Amino acid sequence: MLQYLIVQLCDTSTSYCHYENPSRTPRLISLEDLNAGILFAMKENLMIQFVYPDEELPLSYKKAVDSIDHNTIVSSLCEDQNLVAEADIVIFHEWTGLDYFAFNMEQAYVLRTSKDDFFDRYAQLKWVFPRVKRFNIVFTDIESFSEDDYKHYKKILNHLSENIEKLLIEGLPIQFNLLTDRLTLSTMNNCNAGWKTITLAPNGRFYPCPAFYFDDDSLIGDVHKGLEIKNPQLYSFDYAPICRHCDAYQCKRCVWLNKKLTLEINTPSHEQCVISHLERNASRKILKNSNLKKEMKDLSEIPEIDYLDPFDVREQWDFELLQQELIKFHKENY
Amino acid sequence: MDNIKDSAKGWREEESKNVTFIVTKDCQLICKYCYLVGKNTHERMPFETAKQSIDYLLDTPEFSSEPAVVFEFIGGEPFLEIDLIDKICDYIKTQLFVKNHHWFNAYRFSFSTNGINYHTKKVQDFIKKNYSHISIGITIDGTQKKHDLNRIYKNGKGSYDDVLKNIPLWLEQFPGAGTKVTISSADIPYVCESVLHLYSLGIEEVNINCVYENVWKEGDDILFENQLMKLADEIIDNNLYKKYSCSFFSTKIGKPVNVLLENHNFCGAGKMLSIDAAGNFYPCTRFAQYSLRDKKAIIIGDMHKGIDKNKLRPFLTLDRFTQCPRECLECEVAGGCGWCSGENYDAAVSATIFQRSMANCLMHKARVRANNYYWNKLYRKLEIEGISENEIASQCIHHNKIC
Repeated sequence: MLQYLIVQLCDTSTSYCHYENPSRTPRLISLEDLNAGILFAMKENLMIQFVYPDEELPLSYKKAVDSIDHNTIVSSLCEDQNLVAEADIVIFHEWTGLDYFAFNMEQAYVLRTSKDDFFDRYAQLKWVFPRVKRFNIVFTDIESFSEDDYKHYKKILNHLSENIEKLLIEGLPIQFNLLTDRLTLSTMNNCNAGWKTITLAPNGRFYPCPAFYFDDDSLIGDVHKGLEIKNPQLYSFDYAPICRHCDAYQCKRCVWLNKKLTLEINTPSHEQCVISHLERNASRKILKNSNLKKEMKDLSEIPEIDYLDPFDVREQWDFELLQQELIKFHKENY
Repeated sequence: MDNIKDSAKGWREEESKNVTFIVTKDCQLICKYCYLVGKNTHERMPFETAKQSIDYLLDTPEFSSEPAVVFEFIGGEPFLEIDLIDKICDYIKTQLFVKNHHWFNAYRFSFSTNGINYHTKKVQDFIKKNYSHISIGITIDGTQKKHDLNRIYKNGKGSYDDVLKNIPLWLEQFPGAGTKVTISSADIPYVCESVLHLYSLGIEEVNINCVYENVWKEGDDILFENQLMKLADEIIDNNLYKKYSCSFFSTKIGKPVNVLLENHNFCGAGKMLSIDAAGNFYPCTRFAQYSLRDKKAIIIGDMHKGIDKNKLRPFLTLDRFTQCPRECLECEVAGGCGWCSGENYDAAVSATIFQRSMANCLMHKARVRANNYYWNKLYRKLEIEGISENEIASQCIHHNKIC
C-alpha cells in the first residue's frame, strides 16, 4: 500500500540515494504539476517528501510546498542555508565539510560516498556520531565491491561497531543505518520504491524512485492521468525470491540497483547481498555485547548463519517460508 | 511386456549442460509460426567467435561442472553452415582432449533441422565423421497439407516434398528418432491426420506442442479437443500405442501441482547458454533479439568478459510461485501446463521474466480433457484384454514424458 510521495522539485534536485543526478540545468516542475501532485497526495493519504535543488525556489513554489505537511530533503550545499537548517534530511555528497557542519539532533543526515572514500575516511564518523541522532551512509558504487573490498568493509564495520556499542551503552540514541537498523528490525524495512513510495518527477510523471527518472524509462503513470504500475507485485518483498529468504532486514533492497545489475527489480545483485550481510553480521556482534543487552531489552537475537549471499544457498531454501507465503497469499486473496 | 510405447528421454537429459551456437540467422524457409522474428542472411557466426566462446566455457569450471554437455547448433537452418559446424566440432573435440576435460567422451552434437539439406554430401560426411556423438531431429509437420500450410520457402512454395525425400535416410541412420510438430491456430483441423501420417512414415515418436504465443481464436480449444479425441480413438482402436508415442498423451498431465514440491521453473533458461554470431551470451536462444517481438534482448555476458553472474540470478531463482498468477497456482489441472520463459518475457506488460503468460490456458485444458479420455479408454481396453492392474500401472509410470 502506498504511503509516501517523493516530489522531485527540479531536474537538479539533490540525489539522496545510490543514483547520480546528471542534470546541470535547473528545470523546475511546473506549478500546475506540483499542485496536482500535492492534491494527489492529499487524496491518496500520502506523506510528501520534497527533494530540493541547490538553487532557491521561487516564492510561488514555496507557497505551494507549504500548503501541505511534508518532509524536506536538501543538499548541505543548498544556496538557501535557512532551508538546510530546517530540513528533515540533509544530504552530503562528499566528506569534506562534515567536520565543521553544525549538526542538529532533530535532523537526519545522509552521506553519499564512494567505497574508496569510505575506506579512507571512515574514522571521521567517530567525530560525527555523538553529534547526530541519525546518520546514513549510501554507497554510490556498490557494483564495484570486490572480494578484497568485502574483507576491508568487514574490518571497518567491526571497528565502527565498537564505537557505536560504546555510545549506545552510554545512552546516546545514535542511529547509524549500517549497524543499528538491523538491531531493532524483525521484518524487512527497505526503500520500498514502487510499493510504498512513488516519485513525481519534474516532467509530471510518476516513477518508482528518482533514479528511474534519470536512468530508465520505467514510467508508472502521470500526475493528471493517475498511477499505472505494471506488475506492481514485483516491487514487494513477497515476490522477490532471494529477499524472501533473507533476514538482512536493514538492506536497502534498492529496486533501481536491482534493475541495473540483474535486469529485474525483484532480484538483488551479489554485491548488494554480501554488503548487507556483512552489516547484518556486524550488528549481530554488537548485539552479543551483554552490557548492551541490559540497556536495550527489547532487541531480538540475530541468528548465526554461514553465508553472505542467500542465493548461494538456494538449494537449501526450505519449504516452510514458501508455505508461509502461500498462507499469506490465501489470506489476502480469499 | 511392453503394452504402451514409451517416449524416449533426451541424451543424459538430467545431467548435461546445454550450449547452443546460433550459427546463422538464415533459413531456406519462412515458416508462418516461427518465433524467430529477426531472421536475416547476414548474421553468420565467425569461427573465431565460436572458438573464443568454447575456450571461455572449457576454461571456466564454474560453468562446465555438469558431467556431460550437449552442443546444439541452431539457426535459422543450421545445416546451411555445415562447413563452419564441422570446424567448430573438430575444435571442440580437440580442446576436450588437449585440456583433458571431463566432457571428453561425454558430449553430444545436437541439431534441429528442416531436413532440406540432409542428404547433401557435406552433411552426410559430417554425420559419418561424428556418428556416435550426434542427435538429429528433422521437423516434418504431418500431412503435406498441414506441413505446407506453414513450412514454406521464401517464394511461397511448400517444403514437404523436399523434406519427405530425406526421411527414409534419416530413419535408417537414426532408428527411433522423433520429430517435433508445432501446432498453431490454423493447424488444428489437421492434428489427428498429421500424427497418423507421421506414424505411417515410420516415425515412432511424435513430440508435439502448441506454440506459446497468443495466436488462438475463440473456439480453437474445442476444435483441438475434438482432434485429440479423434487421435486417441485412432491410436487405441488400431493398437498404435504399442509401437508409437505422441507427447500429447501423458499420465503426468492434468493433475494439481503442489507448489511446495514443484516450485521450480518449467524450462532451463539460465541453466543453458546460447551464443550468437557477435559472441554475446544469452540464457536461452529465446532471449536473443531475433527471437523477440517487443522486448530488448537479455544478454548475460559475452566471449570477452564472460558471464555476468548478476544477470543469471533472476533466471536461477525464477520459481512457479513468483511468476504464476493466482489462477495458475490454484488450477486443478496445472500439471504439464508448460511455459516458455522467453515468451513470458516477450509478452509481459513490463520488462520482466517474472510474469507468466496465460495464452495457452484454454488449449492446455482442452488437452487435459482429451488426455483423460485417452487414458480412461486405454486402461479399460487393457483391462478387458486381461492385462493386470499392476502391469498397467507399471507401464504408465514409465510413460511420463511431457512435451
